[in-house]
Amino acid sequence: MVRNIVVLGGNSHPALVESVCNILALPACNRILTKFSSGESRCEIQDSVRGKDVYIIQTGFGGNGSRLNDHFMDLCIMISACTTGSARRVTAVLPLFPYSRQPDLPYKKSGAPLFKAGSESGKKDYTFESIPATPAPGVPPSAGLVSATDISSRLAKEALPNGNGSMSPVKQTNGHTNGHTNGEAYFGANGQSVASPVSGVIGSYTTHDYENVSHLGAFQAKPGYKQWVAQAGTLVANLLTCAGADHVITMDLHDPQVQGFFDVPVDNLYGRPLLKRYIQTNVPNYKDAVIISPDAGGAKRATAIADSMGMEFALIHKERRPTKITDRQNASMMLVGNVTDRVCILIDDLLDTGNTITRAAKLLKKEGATKIYALLTHGVFSGDAINRVKASAIDKLVVTNSVPQGEHKALLGSRLDVLDISPIFTEAIRRVHHGESISVLFNYD
Amino acid sequence: MSAEMANEIKLISGRSHPDLSDKIAKRLGIEVARTVSLNYSNQETSFTVGESVRDEDVFIVQSTATGDVNEGLMELLIMISACRTASARRITAVIPNFPYARQDKKDKSRAPISARLVANMLQTAGANHIVTVDLHASQIQGFFSVPVDNLYAEPSFLRYIRENYNAEDSVIVSPDAGGAKRATSIADHLNTAFALIHKERPRPNVVGRMVLVGNVQDKVAILVDDIADTCGTLVKAAAVLKENGAKTVIALVTHGVLSGNAIETLNASVLSALVVTNTVPLGDKVERCPKLRVIDISPTIAEAIRRTHNGESVSYLFTHAPV
Repeated sequence: MVRNIVVLGGNSHPALVESVCNILALPACNRILTKFSSGESRCEIQDSVRGKDVYIIQTGFGGNGSRLNDHFMDLCIMISACTTGSARRVTAVLPLFPYSRQPDLPYKKSGAPLFKAGSESGKKDYTFESIPATPAPGVPPSAGLVSATDISSRLAKEALPNGNGSMSPVKQTNGHTNGHTNGEAYFGANGQSVASPVSGVIGSYTTHDYENVSHLGAFQAKPGYKQWVAQAGTLVANLLTCAGADHVITMDLHDPQVQGFFDVPVDNLYGRPLLKRYIQTNVPNYKDAVIISPDAGGAKRATAIADSMGMEFALIHKERRPTKITDRQNASMMLVGNVTDRVCILIDDLLDTGNTITRAAKLLKKEGATKIYALLTHGVFSGDAINRVKASAIDKLVVTNSVPQGEHKALLGSRLDVLDISPIFTEAIRRVHHGESISVLFNYD
Repeated sequence: MSAEMANEIKLISGRSHPDLSDKIAKRLGIEVARTVSLNYSNQETSFTVGESVRDEDVFIVQSTATGDVNEGLMELLIMISACRTASARRITAVIPNFPYARQDKKDKSRAPISARLVANMLQTAGANHIVTVDLHASQIQGFFSVPVDNLYAEPSFLRYIRENYNAEDSVIVSPDAGGAKRATSIADHLNTAFALIHKERPRPNVVGRMVLVGNVQDKVAILVDDIADTCGTLVKAAAVLKENGAKTVIALVTHGVLSGNAIETLNASVLSALVVTNTVPLGDKVERCPKLRVIDISPTIAEAIRRTHNGESVSYLFTHAPV
């Protein structure tokens, strides 16, 4: 039992809140957190927070009946309510930091964006190497995870060509691309061509993009101007501070620089110890396995694990130099290192659409890997990630419950292992509350 | 040449109310800037800028659609922040219906003052100026440390009443004590009688008992309010007015939020017409509710944008509606 501490949970991850409260042996703060019929968030905190040390747990994940932005606004409103309710200190606990990763649009030399056209939503044949629906203007977002039944009924119908047929989808995707390279062609037909693959498959949240079909379809940067995508990371940091957060606790930030966006202390916890323990306990003869980073950006994360465990390391490198069109799919990824007849352990921080990791797995299999583990801190599984993972060469996928994994676990079954992060967060909360050092959490083991 | 080119109005439209943005742009004789917003599959909002806003006078039009308030608000914040990053000279957020305007006070312990939070967020994102219409409480302007132009739908309403109803024959009614000032102002301008309905509200979105103060016998009762949300208040007020002998009852409301079962409630009510402005995107509600009439507010907003850009006074618009 810890005194003078209040744990307030948002709607995004009730299981984590419950778990943290159980370990701390205190009840979660009573609150009402719903929506008015107009769509505005309604928040009432029913327990006193005066003079208390308040920890608000809300992860950056859209689900549980609300969208990501709803959860984020809820968080800001809760912080603000606690601040005005005379809380001594308000700490925002965000296991997954929203907007921490905003992909840039890749550009050609001429300055025009290199669109990756083609969404998976309409396709019947699903392979893990199909081109992902990289979010970009003129490209519809991929199908969402609407509900378990939808996915399973879709999967039931889907045949998964694999192995030898692996070259054909490239052509198929190219055909797809040709059909829709022009955003106007895709969106221009009064949304009709859009509506057909969308209906039934895509739930409420993507409809947003289709409401202003003409707006999207007509989109083209002004001549001579290189269009760019706004990065919201700084904004999110500023909004949390402006709402009144005195402290932020998060885990495995995609860019550690995000810490620098804040004027308040940010504790970036590592999921690494958990992943290491998993390797030690669950991978047979782990000393002979190879740690792989699926892209150059994650090399540091992966080498840290490989070094501390005395394991070998290999890296997958994305080749961006243009090659022959037909070879592009294969030439775009290169393995640096040797994995033949070895067990491979892919390490990354975030699985979103699952494209990087599944493509990496495919390459590893081609290079002769015997078994492929993929260990990631955050398993968002957005869009068609579940399908992609199901069809991939990954034998075992391991994620933490920084976002709710119940639905994902149900769909992926024994292929997915979920690690519990609540002890780490609870310990961080306890130590922050007592003013103890939490650096031991960064490298305990 | 370049000096003349610089600092023009850049009108940026969010996704929530493109129709209003188009009308404003048409009115101003300009084009809506080339931008696009979308949601990634992980539901994060992304905003792409397709033309330069450097050193321009940026106006971002974003209403908040019913049921999608947080989505619209985050999009607006990201748009503002993007324009600031892109070196816009001034960023004006045009928010016809200010979100969370009704959560403007700490009415019970630990209740959030969300309106102030929104104000702070807008300023944090980088808004230099706010243009809005009929704030629920004009004190919200005090939450900002940047200029706020609170436009009124009143001149448009006055014209609508003069054009469609006989002023001598009508009574302006405020459905609650809070709106009395708004209603008396209209009654004064039209030189008509005024009545007030007193209500007890046990909980939000729930309407209690109502008492009419004033006389509406054989008159056209015109209810005036700022927000029509679930329409419970309006419909009950209309029933009370009918019971007290009003010939017909119409309602003039600035923001037609019309959430929940509002349309069904309206269709079943004794109200003969509900007149709203297009500050809130109405979607298919006009087709679903034959009683719904819409006044276009875009001339007022467009004129406010023009005047703000040129550094002229906006106060003329408080009493006059541009045609």
